Amino acid sequence: MNSIQKNRWKDQAFKAWGILCTLIGLVLLVVFIGDIFIDGIQRIDWSFITSLPSRKAEKSGIYTALMGSIWILLLTTIISFPIGVAAGIYLEEYAKKNKLSGLLEINISNLAGVPSIIYGLLGLEVFVRIMNLGASVLAGSLTLSLLILPIIIVATREAIKAVPSSIKDASFALGASKWQTIWHQILPASGGGILTGVILALSRAVGETAPLIVVGALAYVPFAPSNPMDEFSVLPIQIFNWISRPQHGFIENAAAAIIILLGITFIMNGIAVYFRNKWQKKWK
Amino acid sequence: MIGNAEQQREALNQYGYEMLSLCRSQIAKAKEAFVTHDGDLAEEVINTEQRVNAIDIKIERDCEKFLALYNPVAIDLRFIMAIRKINFDLERIGDHAEGIAQYVVNEDKKISATLLEVLDFEYMYETIESMFENISEAYEEKNVKVARKVFKKDKILDKINSKSFQLIEAEIKKDVSITGQALILFSVIKKLERVGDLLKNIGEEIIFYIEAEVVKHKKKK
Amino acid sequence: MAEEMEITAEKTKDKTKDKTMTLDRIIDPALKKTSKIEVTDAKVWYGDFQAIKGIDINIKANSVTAFIGPSGCGKSTFLRLFNRMNDYVDGFRMEGKIKIDGNNIYKKKVNVEELRKEIGMVFQKPNPFPKSIYENVAYGLKIQGIKDKKFLMDRVEKALRQADLWEEVKDNLKKSGLALSGGQQQRLCIARTLAVEPSIILMDEPTSALDPISTAKIEELIFNLKDKYTIVIVTHNMQQASRISDYTAFFYLGELIEYDKTKTIFTNPEKTQTENYITGRFG
Repeated sequence: MNSIQKNRWKDQAFKAWGILCTLIGLVLLVVFIGDIFIDGIQRIDWSFITSLPSRKAEKSGIYTALMGSIWILLLTTIISFPIGVAAGIYLEEYAKKNKLSGLLEINISNLAGVPSIIYGLLGLEVFVRIMNLGASVLAGSLTLSLLILPIIIVATREAIKAVPSSIKDASFALGASKWQTIWHQILPASGGGILTGVILALSRAVGETAPLIVVGALAYVPFAPSNPMDEFSVLPIQIFNWISRPQHGFIENAAAAIIILLGITFIMNGIAVYFRNKWQKKWK
Repeated sequence: MIGNAEQQREALNQYGYEMLSLCRSQIAKAKEAFVTHDGDLAEEVINTEQRVNAIDIKIERDCEKFLALYNPVAIDLRFIMAIRKINFDLERIGDHAEGIAQYVVNEDKKISATLLEVLDFEYMYETIESMFENISEAYEEKNVKVARKVFKKDKILDKINSKSFQLIEAEIKKDVSITGQALILFSVIKKLERVGDLLKNIGEEIIFYIEAEVVKHKKKK
Repeated sequence: MAEEMEITAEKTKDKTKDKTMTLDRIIDPALKKTSKIEVTDAKVWYGDFQAIKGIDINIKANSVTAFIGPSGCGKSTFLRLFNRMNDYVDGFRMEGKIKIDGNNIYKKKVNVEELRKEIGMVFQKPNPFPKSIYENVAYGLKIQGIKDKKFLMDRVEKALRQADLWEEVKDNLKKSGLALSGGQQQRLCIARTLAVEPSIILMDEPTSALDPISTAKIEELIFNLKDKYTIVIVTHNMQQASRISDYTAFFYLGELIEYDKTKTIFTNPEKTQTENYITGRFG
């Protein structure tokens, strides 16, 4: 066949391949979630959410783990959000662009890829032992903050980079100082992008298991944390714990807990996507 | 046209009108001085010739500047082209007025009234004056119809001019002593005929400017 | 205007035989203008590259001065020296004196933010903030700490009227600046600059991204502003320079080749290089 027909064939072949790959991914996802759903959806009721864990599957609930996750989420947000965004602003707007800053930029990106258990070990040594915080919610939050800090910094920098420099020029030309330009123009314009990055980073933190285990989150905690120094557990760990039990009832519990965890993750991602869309519309 | 261009165009327009008024009054004064043999009036006409030349130069230079700076097109371009030519013609008319005034200064005898009457001098002048009126109106109001009136009138002037040779010859035969005056009058009539031609040209230029129609060299109704 | 139309005759040389007089009906206001910006031996480097090679020029107050020249000749760089926008470029270094109203603006103690309140700038691509029309115009005043709502509103209206945009937007000042057309956006940027009431306005190819009608509107605007402001405009479009400017400066490869009244530059420039450029004979 001649080249026009060949090209057309290649076109169609690629299209088919693309559809196939997408379908495989979708189908697997649907099967997985569907399976979980079938297993766990009936287990979810108010008592499930408000019960403490127990040795009997029917009586076990996710209350302490859920509270723990919420505590971790809030504390991590409070710690990582201001530090990460401020660092991102500083690096992008104030730091001199030379070899050192280039090196810094590469290393921060690398940090985002370091296995999370390493952060766990770091947290264990520094927060739990040296700073003597023990296996507390605070230690766990600090550890997770370290983990997601590079992600937030990079997201902040990217969002700021996306603000056209013509806006900065216009602001300076009117006599604004650097800080006024950042506060009045750059942050409002990049806010959506920064928020998106922060929410995505936090939704990852919510699902982290390994670093928290290393730091000392327990599998069996009969109470919800009441202050940052309390011991705690989180949903992923609870799920992990239940899955390793032989009784079928716990498998059901695990499935139900997974549905809740997935629900939290999807909601957070949904919010992030919403903000990203709103932010992108601004520039049209 | 905006801003600077509009301002400059209007200024040129005003200069054009000024030149027209000035030359018209020069011709009127020169005729008056000639007929009444008023030496002072003639001097005035000769002195005013400087001003006519000055405006001529100013219009020339401003047209050059306008073309360089504002790249006029369509009616604005025709305006510039027309006003340069009109200016040139008016300057010639001014020259003729000065020429007539010179005759008055150089000659100490008044022209005989009968001679003037025989040659229809007054009528010739009135025709020219009304052509000036037509041109002024056409220029100011951009009225092509009024501009066209000058063509017929120019024919009147041509007629008077063509008769003048025989009439003057006859008068000289009657009385040889008037030869000097007669020759001068002959020259002045030629000048006025020229002025009529120039006014007709100006009429053509105005028609070109307003309607982009070139009526030069065409047979006119 | 009526007074200007009266002839004022000036005798030039008193030659007895030469009877010509010269007329200057509209007395050239330029003869009365003072220098607003004085530049002495300005040089600019970006790293090792020398962008401006020693320029002296005096920009006259209340006039429109155009900077023309081929791409890369340094005219934008030179323009930005006046409001120190080059300070943000890596490797920028300058030598020489630039005085505005007699004060050297590159002295260490000069407050750059104060300087920019006196000197406004309009850029090539319209760059309104992603905020409402009102917020755009009020921004320059708000960052100075002005909070009085009535004062701000008055200034906003005045600026929008001066920029010939008020009638088109007065019914909805809360609309986003980005929702306007290209020409309107540029007028919004001009209004934003005018609200601060600077004395000098710098324009870097302000109409090169616009259609002919918007361009004409903005040129009309510049003509109307010239009484109160000193305007310097960089333009690629020579016809624009000849239409709207009183003085023109021709730049080439970082040097000032010729600087004179616009009518001289376009009817009879001194340097052959200038003539070659404006007649389009440039290689």
